[in-house]
Amino acid sequence: MPPIPTRAITIIGFAVLVGAMAVLEILARRPGSRIPKLGEWLGYLMRPKLGRFLVLAGWLWLGWHYFAR
Amino acid sequence: MATDPAPARRDHPGRWPRPLARPRRPAHLALLVLLSAGLAVYAWVVAAAAPFSRGALIGVLIPGVVLGTIAVVRPPRRIPPPEQLDVTGMSYWVICLAAFFEWEASAWRDSSWPWHPSFTNLIDPLMEPHLIKSAAILVWLLAGWALVRR
Repeated sequence: MPPIPTRAITIIGFAVLVGAMAVLEILARRPGSRIPKLGEWLGYLMRPKLGRFLVLAGWLWLGWHYFAR
Repeated sequence: MATDPAPARRDHPGRWPRPLARPRRPAHLALLVLLSAGLAVYAWVVAAAAPFSRGALIGVLIPGVVLGTIAVVRPPRRIPPPEQLDVTGMSYWVICLAAFFEWEASAWRDSSWPWHPSFTNLIDPLMEPHLIKSAAILVWLLAGWALVRR
């Protein structure tokens, strides 16, 4: 069996992690789930003003990183 | 038994967007369609800007300034955050996020594209078609609005 190239391992790693987060969000939407939804924990982080500023700054950075450069 | 359909609205009479919380009426639907169309056009225009150009930078900064101003000057009625998070439930998110950032950091440290590409290296080619990039920008704009409401 030929060795799996490191590029494939990297891509599989990202796919697994993004897939796991999608599964977490689906599980969080079940009634009575202990797992918080993405919006819930982001809302929790945004309760203090500093958290709100940092999360919004992160959103702006994502836009700059992917769409402006 | 008669119940008040919107008691919470009286708690924050000056807050908005009140029209979106009401039952859909033609005028509200028209406004919603107009806003959606405007955002879609904006996303389409920004997606056409060349990378590293002034237009692309301004196209990203304008929503940031607009949403930042709204968040500070006239915040919409916020969706109440939970009082506390379940530690076990949250730990699953933390593990996934930590693993993701570790994976990304190792790619960045190795700097060995194409053998160990970063997440950005993988995403950028997927966003080359104008339609896909426009859709991604639209999702980003809507995510920003969702965050302001949190």
